[in-house]
Amino acid sequence: MSDSKYITLVSYDGFEFVVLREAALISETIRAMLRGAFKEAQTGRCEFGEIRGPVLEKVVEYFHYYHANRDQTDVPDMDIPVDICLELLMAADFLGLDSRPQMRDLS
Amino acid sequence: MSRQTRTAGRRIMGPQSALTDFLASHNISANQIRLDAEARRRAAAQDTQGDQDAQQNAEVSIADSPPPVPDEEETALPFTIRRRGRSAAQAAAEAEERQKEKDKKAIDKIKASKKFQKRKRGLGDSDDEDIARALFEQRANPLPGQMENCAICNKRFTVTPYSRNAPDGGLVCSPCGKELAKDDPTPKKKKPKRTSGGAVGIRRQAQSNILDGTYNVGGKSLMSLCIETLAKNIDLAEDLGDLPGPIVDKIARKLSKHRLLNPTTLSLFLQPTSQEVLVYDGAKLSADDFYRIFHSVPGLKKLKVRNAIHFKDEVVEFLTTRNIALEDLYLHGSNLISERKWIEYLQKKGQPLQSLRVYWTDKHFTDDVLAVIPTSCPNLTRLKVCHNQKVTGEGLNHIAKITTLRHLSLDLREAIHPDVYIKLLTSLGPQLETFSLTRVPELDNTVLDAIHTHCRSLKKLRITDSELMTDAGFTRLFTPAWSNPGLVFLDLQKCRQLESTKPRENPDKIGLCDEGFKALMEHSGKTLRHLNVHACRHISSEAFEDVFSAEKTYENMSKMEISFCEEVTDFVVGSIFRSCPNLRELNVFGCMKVKDVRVPRGKILVGVPNARGMVIEGDED
Repeated sequence: MSDSKYITLVSYDGFEFVVLREAALISETIRAMLRGAFKEAQTGRCEFGEIRGPVLEKVVEYFHYYHANRDQTDVPDMDIPVDICLELLMAADFLGLDSRPQMRDLS
Repeated sequence: MSRQTRTAGRRIMGPQSALTDFLASHNISANQIRLDAEARRRAAAQDTQGDQDAQQNAEVSIADSPPPVPDEEETALPFTIRRRGRSAAQAAAEAEERQKEKDKKAIDKIKASKKFQKRKRGLGDSDDEDIARALFEQRANPLPGQMENCAICNKRFTVTPYSRNAPDGGLVCSPCGKELAKDDPTPKKKKPKRTSGGAVGIRRQAQSNILDGTYNVGGKSLMSLCIETLAKNIDLAEDLGDLPGPIVDKIARKLSKHRLLNPTTLSLFLQPTSQEVLVYDGAKLSADDFYRIFHSVPGLKKLKVRNAIHFKDEVVEFLTTRNIALEDLYLHGSNLISERKWIEYLQKKGQPLQSLRVYWTDKHFTDDVLAVIPTSCPNLTRLKVCHNQKVTGEGLNHIAKITTLRHLSLDLREAIHPDVYIKLLTSLGPQLETFSLTRVPELDNTVLDAIHTHCRSLKKLRITDSELMTDAGFTRLFTPAWSNPGLVFLDLQKCRQLESTKPRENPDKIGLCDEGFKALMEHSGKTLRHLNVHACRHISSEAFEDVFSAEKTYENMSKMEISFCEEVTDFVVGSIFRSCPNLRELNVFGCMKVKDVRVPRGKILVGVPNARGMVIEGDED
């Protein structure tokens, strides 16, 4: 399969983030988007019409934070800026980051 | 003013004024303030004295100059007058000169002072002269007791030691001072940063998470991170917006955990369109706040309040009169609702009620209240009465008449004869899905037989602390082809023999022993998700090995509690992990034969008796 190692996430105000595919797959929503015959699956480009740039940036930071710490215990909590906390909460809900992601389910 | 000088100054004194006492209680010494003010006054007095001296000196120097020779008597007067005028002007000029010089010296002195350096650092590279002058002017302010015009409103006021400085020099009167204080709150002292406590602290936190059931390998989910941040800063939130219900519920739980739910934060959870309000900690809410819930959520269907101390008669009465039809009522700790109000509420509002759960209402939820339910709550499917000191066998007879009941949980303090339970099971048994009896030492095998005979759709069964049930009874419950499908939840905690003189011997096989355990795993092992055989200490290691042998798997099992089962060994624990592939947590407190067990990756083993307290997820795949 010619899937690239990276995918691109686009916020509604046009910011683009290139993320490690494996890291982004902890999100149920992104996994569903990249599976099957969607446009996203072919281009590796996911556009989010409801997430602002700064919020998506934090989400991307979280993907890498989670990916880097996936096998460790006593992981220090990531810092969440208070001002975008609610928006981030909505984004986390939208992306299906509510329960503990299962790394081993990922294929 | 150091602490030492203060304590040194403390001595036995006569009666003090109330203000002095108050100030002393806030670690402010009235005496100290007075001394400071006096010092300032003295300093000022010396300054003026100095000025006068200077003027006198000026005059003296003039006088020292060669005395003018009076030419004529006539001209003498005007001359002297002129001369005097000149000398006065000269003196004034000189005095001014001196004053300026003095000021300059003072300013130079200020420039060298620590305070100046500090302020300079704070302000960066603004003009030295300006800062010094500002400081100087600050010093030059009038003294306590004098009158002064307010720098802001120009009103005349008496200066006190507490008068504030205006931003650009001068003093302000107390009303303006209050305004100023509002505008720029003095930066609060930074809280000392909490140290993690090093390796021990981190490990302790991890163990705490294990016991909370929140232990995870890897980072937390983004959502819980956000919710934690939100809970920390909840005072900044004005509205939770249109967050989905489950998230709002998570926030509510987190807030209550930190005991942050109060009348202010409660408003965040009152959505007018919502149908449920779940208050996990109502300890800080008053009756008015409960009224507010009913006012702002008119379509309320499900109400849950823990620690509902102020959910009292008035609130129940209000609820009865409102057009709110609750389907689910969960009250914890509402001791102030009287029996009469319970009856009244159930009679008037019992119709739509589907679930009623009442916890820790010691005295007022009585048999008579239960007597009302069969007639006035035709839709009730779930009833839970926990930690109740009043309900007796009579109440159970009333419960037996609630034919719609599917879920029944009882935790009663009154001893009730097993026959009453048998009667209850006879009438309700066939449709019961949940049957939970907590702390029932008086229950015997007849109840197990009744469950076997009558229950056909049971999923959750709990019987704890029975001292009379025997192994044979448990075997009979599960073996002769009990036509109830496999249980999902089984809790037989502390069903064991209690004999202090011969604790090891159990000739009558009281409690859950080998055969009963094998029988239950044979019947429900495939469906069980949660098994608790805590302190069933007569189950032998052979029985465990037999049940968890290599060829048997229990796919659904996710949590097991086998603490204080003395015969559990390393091998048994290993077998359990092998036979239950989806097991997440295994509790083995007090299993002294578990010593060095290898735990598969991602599993949690809690309570191993070693120095680390608990062994958690191993590194074996």
